Amino acid sequence: MGTIRGCNLPEDLFYSMEKHVWAKPMGNGVIRVGITSVAAKLSGGKLAAITVKAKNIGQEVKQGKSIATVESSKFVGPVPAPVSGILEKANEKIASDPNVAVADPYGEGWIAEMKATNWDGEKGLLVTGPEGLAKYQAKLEADGISCQ
Amino acid sequence: MEDKILIIMTSGPDTPRRCATPFFFATLAAAMDYDVTMFFTIDGTLLLKKGVAETVYPKAGGKPVGDFLKDALEAGVKFTACTASTELHDLQPSDLLEGVKMVGGAAMWQMSEEAKTTLTF
Repeated sequence: MGTIRGCNLPEDLFYSMEKHVWAKPMGNGVIRVGITSVAAKLSGGKLAAITVKAKNIGQEVKQGKSIATVESSKFVGPVPAPVSGILEKANEKIASDPNVAVADPYGEGWIAEMKATNWDGEKGLLVTGPEGLAKYQAKLEADGISCQ
Repeated sequence: MEDKILIIMTSGPDTPRRCATPFFFATLAAAMDYDVTMFFTIDGTLLLKKGVAETVYPKAGGKPVGDFLKDALEAGVKFTACTASTELHDLQPSDLLEGVKMVGGAAMWQMSEEAKTTLTF
């Protein structure tokens, strides 16, 4: 488990570091998606809602397009798809309590699952492992972001 | 082609509590990948005058409307202003924020017809 500038960022996940979104292959092409501890920090730490666009369930969402929105009193923004895929399901737990995504962003607080349509082709755009986290660290330093 | 949404903003600095949510909803819609346009008319146009939105506070001690407006612009929301409303308030196009497109009332009807949803505040 990696901690960078006070932000918990596990090494085994794949990150879209520009968007502070993680992806985790679950087997059979299914990718679990959530927001990082960095996104939770940037949104103010207390969320009003996380909403997965219901219309997109069962549809293909291209990489970078919005699969959900995060709302707090000081922030509103998209959760862009880290890779292209068919949006399979939303995590019902975060619909009833969005702050699970803050308290446990990589566990109970995942946001949605997708069936990736081009994982091998697109995963290279994400960062992972010690080398990837070094890049993420450089970005956080450049942007002056810290979770402390 | 993304679905279009039109938000008509008629509220202005006289009713601060009505001025943040329209921008918040616009930003949210943009975050959901809708193609969002705001049309400012009546008192809404006053919020587009340079420096005004920064002085309007929906809640004492909270964020000014200017912050909500900036979030909407950064999210890609398009701002259009009704030409007649600038005359109502003796505003010149140069008094308004950069990037605001001046349009006539007929443009509002066309945008409304093209939009999947129209909200009015």
